[in-house]
Amino acid sequence: MTRSTSQRILSTALMALITVSVSFPLAWMVIAGFKGKTEVLRSPFQFFPDMWRWDNYTTILKDPQFMRAMGVTFVGALIFTVLSLTVNTLAAYAFARLEFTGKRFWWVYCLTPMFVPGMAILLTSFMVVSKLGMLDTMAVLIIPGVASSGQMFFIRQFYLGFPMAVEEAALVDGASRWQIFVKVFLPQSASSFVVMGIASYLAYWNAYVWPVLTITDPNLTQIMQFLGTFRSDRGNDWGLLMAGSTLASLPTIALLLIFQRFIVNGVRISGIK
Amino acid sequence: MTVLESGIATAAKPAADGLAERRVAGHRRDNRTAYLMIAPMVILLTIFVIWPLVYSVYLSTFKISFYEEPEFVGLQFYQYVLESPRFWSSIWVGLYYALLTVPTGIVIGLLLASFIKMLSKRAAAFMKTTIYLPAVVSTVVASVLFVFMYQDEGVINWLLSLLNYAPVNWLNDPSFALPAIAVPGIWLGFGITTLILLAGLLDIPEGYYESAQLDGAGFFQRLFHITIPLLRNVLLYLLVTGFTLAIQLFDLPLIMTGGGPVDATMTPNLFIFTSFRDLTPYATSFSLTASLMLFLVLGAISLVIFRLVNSDKAIDG
Repeated sequence: MTRSTSQRILSTALMALITVSVSFPLAWMVIAGFKGKTEVLRSPFQFFPDMWRWDNYTTILKDPQFMRAMGVTFVGALIFTVLSLTVNTLAAYAFARLEFTGKRFWWVYCLTPMFVPGMAILLTSFMVVSKLGMLDTMAVLIIPGVASSGQMFFIRQFYLGFPMAVEEAALVDGASRWQIFVKVFLPQSASSFVVMGIASYLAYWNAYVWPVLTITDPNLTQIMQFLGTFRSDRGNDWGLLMAGSTLASLPTIALLLIFQRFIVNGVRISGIK
Repeated sequence: MTVLESGIATAAKPAADGLAERRVAGHRRDNRTAYLMIAPMVILLTIFVIWPLVYSVYLSTFKISFYEEPEFVGLQFYQYVLESPRFWSSIWVGLYYALLTVPTGIVIGLLLASFIKMLSKRAAAFMKTTIYLPAVVSTVVASVLFVFMYQDEGVINWLLSLLNYAPVNWLNDPSFALPAIAVPGIWLGFGITTLILLAGLLDIPEGYYESAQLDGAGFFQRLFHITIPLLRNVLLYLLVTGFTLAIQLFDLPLIMTGGGPVDATMTPNLFIFTSFRDLTPYATSFSLTASLMLFLVLGAISLVIFRLVNSDKAIDG
């Protein structure tokens, strides 16, 4: 009895300790957003602000460049997520469920990009998109990353696990492959779509280097590009920068909290064993 | 990623082969449908990955400058890269960073996963989400946040002062800069490591631990004789992916230090990235070649690690 009680106290204390240390940097970012210019990096050190003021948050929310960056990035991320799920799921279904001439070759062809490090093709990809006249458009941010070998592979593994019987019954009934794909496979893909969709969304939202290389138009500036160049553009206004970083992290943290069950279990699906 | 996926690929192979046999037996081929379905993927990958890769290899055999026509030089630039001290020093920086982050991440992950495994379902769900929190934060946000925390009057030096240490000029001191970058690196990555290890731990049958306990095995005996051998594949996967990701790191130092002080945080990819933008003649050819060389060096080192860990057949789970 006493042992289990003390054990419970110990594990609760440990949970609190882990939670505090893991989330401390984020908490510190939020707190710094509430500090005035003079107290944010003051000597002697001050943990909490004298007065909790919303100034930084309201200032950054009224900043047209910040808001535009948030909006443009959000729209781009949505389009990117939908497109990449569509392209990769179609290919995944074909590789998992159809027989066709040259299947093995195209399978290796579509999987090879997984082993190509981004840096080895960064410069030549840039040359390609500039030849195609895509610089400074939404397309350059969205299209090049849409096809993803990793995502296609993940969804294919998922489809391989579907029982054959379902498909055979539908084929006997005279359904076409497209009908089977849309009516049988898609409705059952929700959980893997959530996991993959969030991964796509995060990849787009958090992208930095590619936007910096390809976007110079201030109307298309992406949110991480805005934050990454904030200090060189506007000097060391740490309170404002931390407020902006907090707001820019909210959409991704909200996604995690809403879909936590899927994401945390997704690690299990993507299976290591 | 590579090991995980090849692991899955072999596991899935019998299923795929069985599938093929049945289809052939039914004389059913769906060429039209299949090609329509894979076409978007094949076309996009060809334009944005395969062609740039082929073009990279092709260009690396030319001398490119803004002032003259490209001139074919064969493998000359490969030799230049191999003889470049800055390339090698960046490889060492990358290895040092991997050494700082990968083992630490795995040890933290293993400790946390063992702890979460003991918790009730609800508490475990809460902890899993908490631990995953940093993983959704962008590298840019983590970079500016830690630069802020590392300031002279920042919170980390304040914590040091509580322990009676003198403040450190973290990002401007060559011996502290890389470890200072490793901290956000670990913070961003340990959540996924923990969840993967937890999934592995949950697959170990409870009976092993129970009988070990009956035999009087202590915590460390159980750890070294049950947990680690049975997690061998998971650990191998984490080592190899962690290593390849760590050595490719470049956005943290790009924002936090720009590679300095005195190249102390100049990782291989950052070195390549900065020389892409370098306007001195032939810098483009040089960095292009360096990126392809790194691709090769990386593959070779991954292979060695894989062989090393894999050679110990005695502990095959």
